[in-house]
Amino acid sequence: MSRLVILDNEAVQALRTPTHPKHNQVLSHVQVVVSRKKRAIPVSLAVPTAVRAEAGWDRTSAAWAFPNHLRIADIPLDAVHANTAAVIRNDTGVSIADAHIGAAVEGSPNIDITVITSDPYGIRKVAGDCTITVVTI
Amino acid sequence: MRTEEAIERISQLLGSDMTETANTSMRIPAALRDAAALAAQELGVASSATALTTMALRSALEAVLMQATLDDHYARHPGTRPDLADLAVAAAELDGHPLAAEPERIRQAAGELAARHPSPEPEDVLLWAEARAFPSL
Repeated sequence: MSRLVILDNEAVQALRTPTHPKHNQVLSHVQVVVSRKKRAIPVSLAVPTAVRAEAGWDRTSAAWAFPNHLRIADIPLDAVHANTAAVIRNDTGVSIADAHIGAAVEGSPNIDITVITSDPYGIRKVAGDCTITVVTI
Repeated sequence: MRTEEAIERISQLLGSDMTETANTSMRIPAALRDAAALAAQELGVASSATALTTMALRSALEAVLMQATLDDHYARHPGTRPDLADLAVAAAELDGHPLAAEPERIRQAAGELAARHPSPEPEDVLLWAEARAFPSL
């Protein structure tokens, strides 16, 4: 059973910036993921690319070296995800980044999905009928 | 090579093209090789023993890189290192554990467990907190 942990925009910002008021909280989540990976427990971190763009996360920039080295995988806004995100956005009026989170949840093969977010209500909305764990920061 | 340079280089290598392969003279225990071959052939865990070995090595290296990145971050920003209670709360939140709604109970359990055991895991704290809820027989 594999768990996927998805970061939203504020979680990314908090992780990147040591002075961010929620930095230590997000760092704790990342440390738990890493500790589990060290014990060969299947768990991974991911960020939808629309969230990454919204957060200004440029993987080629040295300013983002810390999150880059944490092996947080991209979930691309490919054709399938874009279609799903468009439907979610039309139905709910959320941002493109949040719609992409919803599409990532819907299209994920992972049984267990956790989203770390500052907007739990919005994430519940975009997740629709999918069962997810929402961590509020 | 300094630690941060090693982290950067390992990160680059793990993110690079993995289709290019090389023969290696790396020696591994024969029993481990045979077990890997059987796991691939009979249990279908990978397409081949080589694929299984590569997958395991990649996973291990990713965990090593992530922990090294976090350790480097903690060294630069000492106030960001999460303690046992922080990690136990984070573990409960990530898993959607019922105790996630009671962080103070988790923190109390972390304090109690840390006094009794040299190096408990966050999951041990949650188990301890749950056990403390049962009345004594």
